[in-house]
Amino acid sequence: MVSVLEAPATRPQGLRPSRGYRVFQVFNGVALTLVVVLTLFPFGNILARSFSGEHEIRSGQVSLLPRGFNLTTYRIVMSDAMFWTNYRNTVVYTVVATALALALTTCYAYVLSKRQLKGRGLLVAIAVFTMFFNGGLIPNYVLVSSLGLRNTLWAIVLPNAINVFNLLVMKAFFESMPTELEESAAVDGTGTYGTLWRIVLPLSKAVLATMLLFYAVAFWNSWFPGFLYMDRQELFPVTVYLRNLIAGATGGADQTAASDTALQIGANIQAVTIVLTMLPILLVYPFIQRFFVSGVMLGAVKG
Amino acid sequence: MVQLSRRQLLAAAGAAAVAGLAACSDGDSDSGNLDGKRAGAMDGFKAGDQFKATEPLKFSIMLLSNQAYPYKADWPFWAELTKRTNVTLEPVAVPGSDYNQKRSVMVSAGNAPLLIPKTYHPSEEAYIAGGAILAVSDYADLMPNYTDKVNRWNLKANLDTYAQEDGKYYLLPGVHEGVWQDYSLAMRSDILTKLNLAVPKTWDEVASTLREMKKAYPNQYPLSDRWSTPPQPGGNALISIVGQGYGVNAGWSWNPAFWDANAGKFAFTGATEQYRQMLQYLAGLVSEKLVDPESFTQTDDNARQKFASGKSFVMCCNAQTLVKEARKDIAKLPGATVTKIPLPMGPMGASLPPDNRLENGLMISRKALENKNFVALMQFVDWLWYSDAGQMFSRWGIEGETYSGKVEDASFKLDPKIKWSGLNPGAAKDLQVDYGFSNGVFAYGGSTAMLNSQFSDEEKVFQAEMHKREIRPVPPGHPLTVEEREQATLQEAALHDHVDQQTLKFILGQRPLSEWDAYVAELKGKGLDQYVGTMNKAYERFKEKK
Repeated sequence: MVSVLEAPATRPQGLRPSRGYRVFQVFNGVALTLVVVLTLFPFGNILARSFSGEHEIRSGQVSLLPRGFNLTTYRIVMSDAMFWTNYRNTVVYTVVATALALALTTCYAYVLSKRQLKGRGLLVAIAVFTMFFNGGLIPNYVLVSSLGLRNTLWAIVLPNAINVFNLLVMKAFFESMPTELEESAAVDGTGTYGTLWRIVLPLSKAVLATMLLFYAVAFWNSWFPGFLYMDRQELFPVTVYLRNLIAGATGGADQTAASDTALQIGANIQAVTIVLTMLPILLVYPFIQRFFVSGVMLGAVKG
Repeated sequence: MVQLSRRQLLAAAGAAAVAGLAACSDGDSDSGNLDGKRAGAMDGFKAGDQFKATEPLKFSIMLLSNQAYPYKADWPFWAELTKRTNVTLEPVAVPGSDYNQKRSVMVSAGNAPLLIPKTYHPSEEAYIAGGAILAVSDYADLMPNYTDKVNRWNLKANLDTYAQEDGKYYLLPGVHEGVWQDYSLAMRSDILTKLNLAVPKTWDEVASTLREMKKAYPNQYPLSDRWSTPPQPGGNALISIVGQGYGVNAGWSWNPAFWDANAGKFAFTGATEQYRQMLQYLAGLVSEKLVDPESFTQTDDNARQKFASGKSFVMCCNAQTLVKEARKDIAKLPGATVTKIPLPMGPMGASLPPDNRLENGLMISRKALENKNFVALMQFVDWLWYSDAGQMFSRWGIEGETYSGKVEDASFKLDPKIKWSGLNPGAAKDLQVDYGFSNGVFAYGGSTAMLNSQFSDEEKVFQAEMHKREIRPVPPGHPLTVEEREQATLQEAALHDHVDQQTLKFILGQRPLSEWDAYVAELKGKGLDQYVGTMNKAYERFKEKK
């Protein structure tokens, strides 16, 4: 978003910017800065909390700078073996699921982008149907259980391997690619797979990067399939660990035994866990973002 | 290829469905005959006996993994349990944050472990129609410790409130010998001393105490409360304990059925005079600016922040949050001290509601009945959850290792190197985190002596005060039929929703209490009379059967 500000190349060259345009720019700058502050503030706050003392957080002294600075909480959280086990799970689930999802979505989308394909409408309809209707929680659970996928990586990977929205974006992207490229490849003697592999995919880096980011972020953040299909703690993704730490801490509904559950986890422990959990996926962004910005736009307009 | 007509297909589908139904319903002949299900069980197992399976057994259990002491497979609890009972539990660990959801899915999908603990009445009712849950009342005779405690502690009437229309109940609740009142107000005792105020005994005295505090600190709200998470109206603990004083189950102890002993019939809690009086009291506190209006909407964190920074002096608490949260939070305020005051009394005087003698409990999967170890399973459950020895074990662990002495003669002492709640606060190890004892899944209920053993000295004083109070009689049972319940649940949801919304409006002064009659009329428009009628019809039926 901010890159729009830094790239005034769209301004007509050689002309003095009009007054209205300058007013717009100032206004735009202020508005966008505000948005940036609004998005960054909670992040900064969590970061500050993670380095602060429990008491300082409780008494509301921490906003953007740590108070009662300490690293003890980091040491405590990082010394919890289960945290790292779950963390490793998240990494494994995300990598496998993203790779598979990317492969399957690409294949499906590429096929669907071919206008000469017979039954193409039906294939699209099948995919789109799942966007609007699904079996519901319990049937899905029964299905996954009876396929023997429970407590395996596949329970997380397979049911979410094709996201229909992503599929349609990719399909539109492939459709917008000039058919002449593929025709000339065919003339030079490549088969279907060769065309996909040597011609189409190298030209699709933008959409691939976008899909990679979409899928990776979604899998990294997802907690529900892990929670639902995994029966053992050592199989949970770290998001379930985190959720239990945060959401579970405020369950006060059960009165009589509430002494047991109404206890809260230290606010600093919550903050540290949040920071550690979002860090890796956050670090991916800068590297993919330049593809990302152009990628989401791609396929949006057909012509 | 054979062509099937549409009619033939339909007939085939119908036949398949009938066969499926027949297959489902063949389990009905289960009660009574337990031959072939006694493998591993003890002969002549009776109350007070140590249960030990005659062969090694394994039972699956759904285990709520509490965020404060997440499940560990190497807790000494597991090994010692197997050593004593020859039973190995195989836990399905479920994060406490979403325990109920996973329980619903697993039970509905027929995939639940044999033992399903941590279930609060009436949530077990949702599973009855599906047939996945065992009617445990049919097998109470296999559980000598349980029956013994129910009889000795006079819990029959309490259990009646758990019964369904067929007279059976499906949840094995935690049972308490006495009423355990845990919640009350935490008050800054240093402020009381400074302003020369006595600890208030009644809710009216609480109001005048808050007034004095307000006089001394005119810019602050003396009471700012926590526990406002939906779905209840907000200020759930506060409304609950004030409601107790006025004789209604409100806030998070909400119970729509109000037993009017004089009239001999049920009324709807949210439309009673008692409820109105309670609202009037709370609305008065808010309008005098003695209670922070945000009490009913803010997060626990915010409420604790206000208390921690000295912006408020009073909030709801229980024994654990007093020690682990409130007291810790104010540690850095110079001279600040906090105490849990004896639960203030209302118009109901020195009495406590009877509801708290049953606690969350255990459901057993119906498929356990097909297990050849069924009898042993019931005996095991009986020993671990209901025998004195089992309760002592799950709460305090191993004698000589984690504790010494007895709870009965108050010689009990937790090992000084182990901490738990308010006991041995400086110790290196934690009874729950490091040992797996005092786990909410296993340790609850029990005798008053047992309960007292877990209290710090200040809590013992509080409890002694509470035990002076009379326990109000248990309202009679009024079990609904399946059809009635379906209808009543819908009506109750609409009524409850309206009560919650309007409760908040009345308390915050957005709606004057002079509109009470209009409010009751609104409830009538939402099926109040029908709902109350259903409850009273059920009660009449119940009375006849007795």
